[in-house]
Amino acid sequence: MTDTTTAKEGDGGGLPGYGSCVHCGEPTGIETAVESAGLRFCCTGCSAVYEILNSLGLDDYYKIRAAQNIKGTTPARDPASGEDYSYLDQKSFADIYTTEEKPLTMSFYVEGIECAACLWLIEKIPSCAEGVESVSLNMSDNTALVTFTPEKKFSSFPDAVKRFGYRAHPVKPGEDTDDLRKKENRRSLIRLGVAAVCAGNIMLLSAAVYSGAGGVFEKYFTLVSFLLSIPVVTYCSLPFYRSVIVAVRSGRVTVDIPVVFVILAGFALSAHNFYAGSRAVYFDSITAFVFLLLGSRYFLKSVRGRLSEKEQPGKTFFSLNRVLVWDTAARQFFYEPLESLKTGSRIKLSKGERIPADGELVSRTAEINLAVLTGENIPRTIEKGDAVYAGSILESDEAVLKIESTGKATRIGKILDEVERNYAGKISLSGGSDRYAAVFTLAVGIISITAFFAISYMYGTRQGIERVMAFILIACPCAFVFVLPLFHSMSLKSAAGKGILIRDPGIFDKLPGVKNIFFDKTGTLTNGVFRILKWDTESLSGDDLGAILAIEKKSDHPVARAIVSRLAGMDLPIPEVGNFEHLYTKGVSAEAGGHLYTITSGESSLPSPNEINELIASTIVVRKDGKAISEITLGDSLKEDAKLAVSELSMMGYNVFVVSGDKEENVRQVADRIHIPCENIFFGETPEGKSGIIARHGRSMMIGDGLNDAPALASADVGVAIQGSVGESMKVSDAYILNNDLFTILDLLSHGASARATAKRNMALSISYNSIAGAFALAGYITPLAAAVLMPAVSLLLLGSALLGRSSRAGSKRRAAA
Amino acid sequence: MNIIFLTLGVSIAIAVIFLAAFIWATGRGQYDDLETPSHRILLDDYESENTNPRPKEGTDK
Repeated sequence: MTDTTTAKEGDGGGLPGYGSCVHCGEPTGIETAVESAGLRFCCTGCSAVYEILNSLGLDDYYKIRAAQNIKGTTPARDPASGEDYSYLDQKSFADIYTTEEKPLTMSFYVEGIECAACLWLIEKIPSCAEGVESVSLNMSDNTALVTFTPEKKFSSFPDAVKRFGYRAHPVKPGEDTDDLRKKENRRSLIRLGVAAVCAGNIMLLSAAVYSGAGGVFEKYFTLVSFLLSIPVVTYCSLPFYRSVIVAVRSGRVTVDIPVVFVILAGFALSAHNFYAGSRAVYFDSITAFVFLLLGSRYFLKSVRGRLSEKEQPGKTFFSLNRVLVWDTAARQFFYEPLESLKTGSRIKLSKGERIPADGELVSRTAEINLAVLTGENIPRTIEKGDAVYAGSILESDEAVLKIESTGKATRIGKILDEVERNYAGKISLSGGSDRYAAVFTLAVGIISITAFFAISYMYGTRQGIERVMAFILIACPCAFVFVLPLFHSMSLKSAAGKGILIRDPGIFDKLPGVKNIFFDKTGTLTNGVFRILKWDTESLSGDDLGAILAIEKKSDHPVARAIVSRLAGMDLPIPEVGNFEHLYTKGVSAEAGGHLYTITSGESSLPSPNEINELIASTIVVRKDGKAISEITLGDSLKEDAKLAVSELSMMGYNVFVVSGDKEENVRQVADRIHIPCENIFFGETPEGKSGIIARHGRSMMIGDGLNDAPALASADVGVAIQGSVGESMKVSDAYILNNDLFTILDLLSHGASARATAKRNMALSISYNSIAGAFALAGYITPLAAAVLMPAVSLLLLGSALLGRSSRAGSKRRAAA
Repeated sequence: MNIIFLTLGVSIAIAVIFLAAFIWATGRGQYDDLETPSHRILLDDYESENTNPRPKEGTDK
């Protein structure tokens, strides 16, 4: 690693004024600026990356960025801080992350990729890192496919990435759903291609027949059409057949049932008529139908895929992939893959790591952040023998745990498993059209059977068969089998433009019904960041501040970290610290500069803050030789737009609730600020409790971010995960909001209303067309030519109507006013 | 007009060739990632001497 010592935080002290960081372009604050070699950086991370790039001759990175007018990004991680990837070189890990066919290839998810310059840099790694053969980065999902040299030094890639200020997580092959999605995607694309070729050629041939090619030509052209339609009704339609088999087995009616009926009946009728020498063949209509259907579903899926891409492997809770396990034989801790963790193993965790399994504490004391289960962000102190739960974060230095249950058997694992299983059934693949399918199929079935007997009685069986078949073809539910999915994918796209990614288009049906809106507190209504709200540093001398900094630097408590980061940029004399002592659950005390300082939590003597967005969580009192010299107020703060957004929602007639796992007083404080009535406040709730409250209220929308919100998000009619959510929550949400703006919820609600209105209009149009054309078909007026012209014409009409209905309104106007 | 029988056969053969090319390209993963290549094309000007061979497009693992 290069020399970064010249750019330690303290040195940046007296830099005057502001500028922008050479590496990332962020403004450099007075307090935090770092100067190195005459250039100014916003943090040590940026300056270290700059030095490394220059020393490797990779400074073209900055030229590319300048040429493309791209602002840089702050390194995902300070490159100097060491995350050790050497465990990847162990055989036990290599076996998990590579496959037998390709033992030298490993996939990584890379955090922090933003632009073409990042791409260039990452793909340059083979030229500067020993052991990396080639890198191919995919920017749509931020994964890098890396090939290594036969020495199998798998840690070389993540190490190199780390030095450039990004962060790489190895991705397991196979179980990676991304891979399956990719293969599935390729298959559907090929199906679509085959259908396009066949349908296009059949259309050309049919056009010739319709415009008068007769005699032997007509016979020949129809024969070729028949041959070309075989792959369409077999290979291309395979997904429909499969879904019908599944539906029939589980006793459900899906939209694919009438679809398959139309395809098979139409093909059989046309083939029979061709054989019998009749002109009533519908090969063109059927193949075009299959093509449009496949196309609309492919489109919908690709739009929806964007949500899954946001589910970054690095952001899920069980992303920790290795753990230090006690080896009794060697009397030492070794890195092992997380999968090999067993009941009874002893593991060692270090500060900031997420606990991977349920168990009990073996070492003396530890501070644990239980936010996963409670939503409360302040760590709790636990003693030897106390239970710890998977998902909580270790805030103290080091802890040894004995494992009791792992993976899906842990408390949080059970919750998530259950939630995901229930949620999987909620999503429809046909774009929310299945609900209409049952009614439609029933209606067409009854009419067909009655009409068949009536027409056979009047005109003979042959006429009966032909007219009823024409009726079924013409009444094909094109409105909801491809216009609705297409329309929904366009709605999804326009929602994405506003920063809302929607997973299940079915929410357009549910949004207008929403009456109760539930907000999580921490991280949703508030910023979820614990920081110093008020501290009058002016009244303290430089010596005192220096002593406080020196003392707090020795502690790892979040409070200490907040204090250190506040003081870090100042030019302070740092005294020697002696007799440092952790006061149990309260704070610290130490001697510095000849005085005894105690920094402990205490009662505030100051009036509560009048700043509307600030939420006090605790007050820290600094005492010098027993006399209080300063007070530090720490806490979370409300999001700026929380109050406006909530009052707007109440004005629109929604019932707004807060559900939180936090303590009563903290929740009340928030609710008071944003004017949520007392009866709508729920505090101290477990994840299951939150879910129960929502289920009880019904017609609900839940907005949350944490793991403890996942059950609630899944059980709400509409679950909305907001920016910064963990992967598990996103997985069970219907929509994901990409920005930090609570007004986007209002956009989502109005978007839902307009989308539903357009969808309804389309349904009405389509049903009236189906009834009129169906009546003509039964009367014997619909020829194959009429069917071939009508079907695409109506589809285009419906599509036009869908497009017109998308004129965007609301939202932007409101934001301008706010 | 008998030539129509031949030309029709030829046109369908051409269609099948293009279809085969499309299937081959899809199978090789050329449509998996439609975003990165648009960035990558901008980078050619910055290739320096120590360039490594461009990694092959991701085929199936």
